[in-house]
Amino acid sequence: MNQSFKAPIVHIHNLSKSYFRETLEIPVLQGLDLDIPSGGFYALMGPSGSGKTTLLNLIAGIDRPSGGVLEVCGSNLNQLDDDELASWRNQNVGFIFQNYNLIPVLNAFENVELPLLLTPLTRTQRKEKVEEALTLVNLMDRLENYPRQLSGGQEQRVAIARAIVGNPMLLVADEPTGALDAKNADEVLAMMQKLNEEFGKTILVVTHDPKAANFARHQVHLEKGVLDKTVEVNR
Amino acid sequence: MKFINLIFKSLMRSKRRTFLILGTLVLSVFLITILQSLLATLDSVSNQSTEGNRFIVRHKSGLTQFLPISYGDYLRQQPEVIAVANSQWFGGYYQDPKNFFANFANDHTTMFTVFSDTVAGMTDAEIKEYQRDGTGCIVGQILADKFGWKVGDTIPLTGTIFPISPRLTIRGIFKARLASDENTLYFHYKLLEESVPFMKGKTGAFWVKTKTPEDLPRLSNRIDNHFANSPEETLSETENAFYLTFVKMLGNIGAIIHGVTIAVIIAITIVTIGTMSMAFKERTTEIAVLRAMGFSASRVLFLLMGEGLLLVTLGGALGIGLASLVAKILREVLGSALMFLQDFRLANETILICMGLTLAIGLISTIIPAIVATRKSIVEGLRAL
Repeated sequence: MNQSFKAPIVHIHNLSKSYFRETLEIPVLQGLDLDIPSGGFYALMGPSGSGKTTLLNLIAGIDRPSGGVLEVCGSNLNQLDDDELASWRNQNVGFIFQNYNLIPVLNAFENVELPLLLTPLTRTQRKEKVEEALTLVNLMDRLENYPRQLSGGQEQRVAIARAIVGNPMLLVADEPTGALDAKNADEVLAMMQKLNEEFGKTILVVTHDPKAANFARHQVHLEKGVLDKTVEVNR
Repeated sequence: MKFINLIFKSLMRSKRRTFLILGTLVLSVFLITILQSLLATLDSVSNQSTEGNRFIVRHKSGLTQFLPISYGDYLRQQPEVIAVANSQWFGGYYQDPKNFFANFANDHTTMFTVFSDTVAGMTDAEIKEYQRDGTGCIVGQILADKFGWKVGDTIPLTGTIFPISPRLTIRGIFKARLASDENTLYFHYKLLEESVPFMKGKTGAFWVKTKTPEDLPRLSNRIDNHFANSPEETLSETENAFYLTFVKMLGNIGAIIHGVTIAVIIAITIVTIGTMSMAFKERTTEIAVLRAMGFSASRVLFLLMGEGLLLVTLGGALGIGLASLVAKILREVLGSALMFLQDFRLANETILICMGLTLAIGLISTIIPAIVATRKSIVEGLRAL
């Protein structure tokens, strides 16, 4: 285990987010305070509409807060412009989606290579890193396969390889097991646990599933856009 | 370069759609290139850089009417005139009607002076031999190569306008600047005049060479005024104006070609905008995923534009290639029937204009849907599942 809870990788203070439907303001998050330490494994839980996906999107830098402090991986995200934020995401965040979201016209190798195309790495260096990531998810024998030739579990493992290939500090996952059967869901969650425990990745998962949430170390409960409670999971 | 695989594979996502739009592009570019080249060829026919001091005197009523040969005496008496050659389109073919090419009965004594630029490359001995032999003829290099003719060969020519089929002996092979000029046969005017009773003392036209180009307006007016109110009135015109009468027979082809070209450009732009919009809309989530991974909006815009430009460049290149092939076929198949088609080629300027137009269509039709696709927020794009 590689746990270092020194500085928070995510520091949130008085965070708020509202959406506008024409002139009508719809608050989604209000006055949120949360610190996530580096190397933490947090599950964001709560009923539909509680704001957990919105919070994940804000932390991952794909959405902008309406107010408050949002510091992630040492950067104040409010101060970054769109291009800086894109570059920041490439260097610091790996995404895992419920529906895998692999590019159907690219094979497993090419899908995993995608985030590396934005780096100055050479073709050989990229190849090494992609093979390393695919080895980690036990899919080296599938690198030529296209998404349609893979099972749901394999697709999600390719997505995990894509998320970690650039060695980001933070992995965010929105319902990563939502489209999987129980066996594959367990495999994916075990893999994320391994990434947290053996590789020290900070992981933030949005889930409805209490079983999936139990793979995390902490569960953050949201209720109507405010932080309800944070619970440490005893394993 | 590292994005080319992504661009290409994205473009080939729906092969049927890509090939259909590619086919539409190829046909459109082909059509534009062929039509514009046709226009350029017709323009070059009516604006060719001939010797400025040559003009034609023909019957005022039209090309099918004859003038008395005696008019030539008056023409030769004019102080500005260097030489006069009477000439008649013979319209014969060699062995088979398919072997049709330009052939004229010309004044064998003066034609080498009058047409010094279009009948060139023969030795003095060859010219003398041709002038000596009343059944001799001279042929252009392209024509000789086409039928494998050489000096000394006998050419049976079957008349289609005149009821004679002369057997002519090749006395020389000449070169010319234009392919259409080198695809021509000339024989003695006297042979036609002596063999065809109704051509006795008649000719289709006179080609007149003057000392300077400045002589032309004054001299042509004087000639036409001289023969005005006579039974056979004349019309004197420059060589280009004369060629233009053939082009005008096709109607206002320039306006038609430009009209069709504009219609094709508008149609293909609309079709490409529709196709690209649909293609990008289907990939809303994918675009959002790329951006979440760190691809900036401008980078994604570049990738989407790359797809559009790759498609139109491919379509443009194939369309121009097809047009080039068809131009060659037209030259070979229809060149003997439509003389101007012998010079039908895709000019570099036309190719550049067509390629530029194609790229412009690609830019215009891709940039709008690409901007729309990249303006959508990542969160909105991810929700579009």
